[in-house]
Amino acid sequence: MNYLGHLLTHLRKDLRLEWRSRDSINGMLFFALLVVVVFGLAFDPTGYPTTTRQVTGAILWVALLFASITALNQSWTRELRNQVLEAQRMAPAPASTLFLGKALANMLFVLVVEAVMTPIFVVFFNLHPLGNTWLLALILPLGTWALVVNGTFFAALGLRARNRELLLPLLLLPVTLPALLAMVQATTGVLNGDLDPIQINTWLKQLAGYDIIFTTACILLFETVLNAE
Amino acid sequence: MSRPSILRIAAWPWLIASLAVLVYAFREAIFIVPADAAQGDAGRIFYYHVPSAMLSLVFPYINFLASLAYLGWRRRDPLKALAADALALSAAEVTLVFTSICLLTGMLWGRATWGIWWTWDERLTSELLLWLLYAAYLTVRRYSSAGQTQTIAAVLSVFAAIDVPIVYMSIRWWRTQHPAPVFFGGPDSGMDPSMLPAFVWNIIGWSLWGIFILGFRYAIERRRQATEQEAALHAIEASLETPQ
Amino acid sequence: MTWHSFLNLSTLENRHLLAAYITVWTIQGGYFAWMAWQWRHTKRPRL
Repeated sequence: MNYLGHLLTHLRKDLRLEWRSRDSINGMLFFALLVVVVFGLAFDPTGYPTTTRQVTGAILWVALLFASITALNQSWTRELRNQVLEAQRMAPAPASTLFLGKALANMLFVLVVEAVMTPIFVVFFNLHPLGNTWLLALILPLGTWALVVNGTFFAALGLRARNRELLLPLLLLPVTLPALLAMVQATTGVLNGDLDPIQINTWLKQLAGYDIIFTTACILLFETVLNAE
Repeated sequence: MSRPSILRIAAWPWLIASLAVLVYAFREAIFIVPADAAQGDAGRIFYYHVPSAMLSLVFPYINFLASLAYLGWRRRDPLKALAADALALSAAEVTLVFTSICLLTGMLWGRATWGIWWTWDERLTSELLLWLLYAAYLTVRRYSSAGQTQTIAAVLSVFAAIDVPIVYMSIRWWRTQHPAPVFFGGPDSGMDPSMLPAFVWNIIGWSLWGIFILGFRYAIERRRQATEQEAALHAIEASLETPQ
Repeated sequence: MTWHSFLNLSTLENRHLLAAYITVWTIQGGYFAWMAWQWRHTKRPRL
């Protein structure tokens, strides 16, 4: 089987496991909903549309960031049961296919959550984006991939650590900061309509560059992490 | 034990030399050089802040190179890999010490001179990130299960090395679009010659001190590793002696 | 400056200067003390 075949096998496995229990997606959805409600209560979206537009971009990414962290830790713990991880190590498939399969599966889950959250955001915050909304269709996946690829990698890194729930957010924040900056600025720029296209393009290019660099680094280093003993 | 290592021989003289230079540097900074025209006496924080900032950027490289050496030697020469790992850990701890000092003194300086504790410009944000990454590095080392710790920490070090320059550049670009307060200063801001003696003595003193504590921490780690290996050897020998 | 003016706590600048220097000494000294403690409490290998 070639690389793509292995990759698809791992992807299908993760999707199937998630489909059977659906706890990841449900957890993420409820978490994101909670964030939206709390922030919606904190200030009045109808009374202050400008302020709302300024902060909604950040709120969206905060909700997604924290929701994905809860799911990411979980995505690797299912590999610990029944010594599946040892079996994965011994399998002849390249280790990076395991990583990429899982990262792609996580990406799909978070995209599903985003697809559900976006109308909810629009409704609860009375969102009326002033910029080019189609750009969001570019910004959201690129930004989400930055979070998911690093999150999946660091969740694997801390897999056998005693307090892995602490490690993931601790590691994720500094490493994804450039991407977070780009995605929050770009999203806010689109919502407010006050960034000119060159700036948004530059943020998008930065996001894309970040994604490429860190995906490569994660793929190359995953085998080392998997066989760390 | 055979002849004492070079670290042992150099330790005491090096410590005394660094302390002597540091004391003299303190004297220079506080009592001898004149107060800064614009900042007054608060500018004297500069003589402790900037050397720490510069050193806080040197030790992460030592950690990165040692981590790469560890990853390279891991399978081929385990003994050298162990030494590389000890150096990586020591450099990480010393980085955290210098970065903490840089951040804290920087905040005190900023508040006294410009009235703000913090600003999200490229230098401060990168320094904060460096601190977070190395705090995470040390946390990973403490909480990983045995056997994995060194490799995982080494991988983290690689990520830190990739990440900090990217953070610096991306925030710098952002700040050229949206300027915010910047803490001026640093070695490229044009220093008045009357300030040079204090600055130079402090750089030398803190560099000597930094190398000393790096070496000290390295020696402690090597000793700990040797004790661990000895214990492992005993365990293996004991298991071989079980009666048939 | 003199010792008297260095230890003078009346202005904000002075307080911050003193606080900065004490912070540096505390952190470096504390780390060194911790190292010294660890050195004493790490057993020497017999080999």
